[in-house]
Amino acid sequence: MFKLNPRVCLSLLALSATLTTCASFTQAQEKQITTFKVVHVIGLEAIQHNTKGRVTVSKDALTFSTGPTKSDLAISGIQDVLTGADSQRMIHGSLGTLTMFAPYGSGRFLSLFRQKLDTLTIEYRDPNGGLHGAIFTLPQGEAALLKDQLVAAGAKATVVPAEEAGQPTGKKEAK
Amino acid sequence: MKLANGRGRIVGSIAAVALGFGFAAVLAARADAPPTPVHASAIQIEQIQSEDVKLPAEFQMSMYEHVVEEIGKTKRFAHVYRDGDRDAASAPDLVTLHCTVTGFKQGSAMERQVTTVAGATSITVHLEFTDKNGQKLFQNDVKGNVRFFGENLRATYNFSKQVAGVVRQDFAAVTPAKK
Repeated sequence: MFKLNPRVCLSLLALSATLTTCASFTQAQEKQITTFKVVHVIGLEAIQHNTKGRVTVSKDALTFSTGPTKSDLAISGIQDVLTGADSQRMIHGSLGTLTMFAPYGSGRFLSLFRQKLDTLTIEYRDPNGGLHGAIFTLPQGEAALLKDQLVAAGAKATVVPAEEAGQPTGKKEAK
Repeated sequence: MKLANGRGRIVGSIAAVALGFGFAAVLAARADAPPTPVHASAIQIEQIQSEDVKLPAEFQMSMYEHVVEEIGKTKRFAHVYRDGDRDAASAPDLVTLHCTVTGFKQGSAMERQVTTVAGATSITVHLEFTDKNGQKLFQNDVKGNVRFFGENLRATYNFSKQVAGVVRQDFAAVTPAKK
């Protein structure tokens, strides 16, 4: 009969405890993101295009805030949440435009250095039933986390986060 | 001298053929346009359909938002209603715009920025305007491109500008109510 050595048992216990702690710590780290730094591309009422801001998800609304301005989007009105991928120049904005005129094609060379981005598209209806679409860009890997939070809060999604992991991003299923 | 005359003739005939093609293209594009501008006080813009063409969600929604915005700027309608808006039912002379994506090519912003000539993004959409009874008023095909500068989503803005151009051309300006 196989006899368990108490030392082996203890070390196995210690190892499993360490692994469990590590796993829960990683999960906690993932869940720590409650405010997302985003760029509002288009779609929110009273917010200008390409505005930088922060998004938070509460029990019944998604709130975009930039300075003192806030825009709320009711979770119950969300029809679909979709993620996608994009990229932009490392040096973008006005400075990026200026670098296009740099001599000896160096501006073009700089265009090769790119930053990957996630896009999050939210399809929602206003209280009158009117269709809207809000598009945000986020740092790579954060769109899925934000989508998870929205779905957990009750937002509808045609492609659920688990399915999305196995699909190419940004492609909507044909209805 | 003879050679110069021959070359002149060739250039002349090429120019004439090009002009002919140009006129034909313009006539074809305007073939289905209404003879006189249509009067309507309200328009409802239906959700953009892309059943046959795989269009990323961000393009679809960006196109929709830009079209709503740009049609609002044309000042041709007192009310611009979104898809599903319940208030649209009460508008007496409502026109509905149906957009169907017939072609989409997602280019690359990096290719454009590096090469200038490659990596264009283009979207082709079939527009159909119908009256409140569902009768077709006219239709048109519109294209949105990004060829040189700008991110891919800019094609959706360029497309909406084209749609606004069609609306400006084919709809009469809304007359302000008398006081």
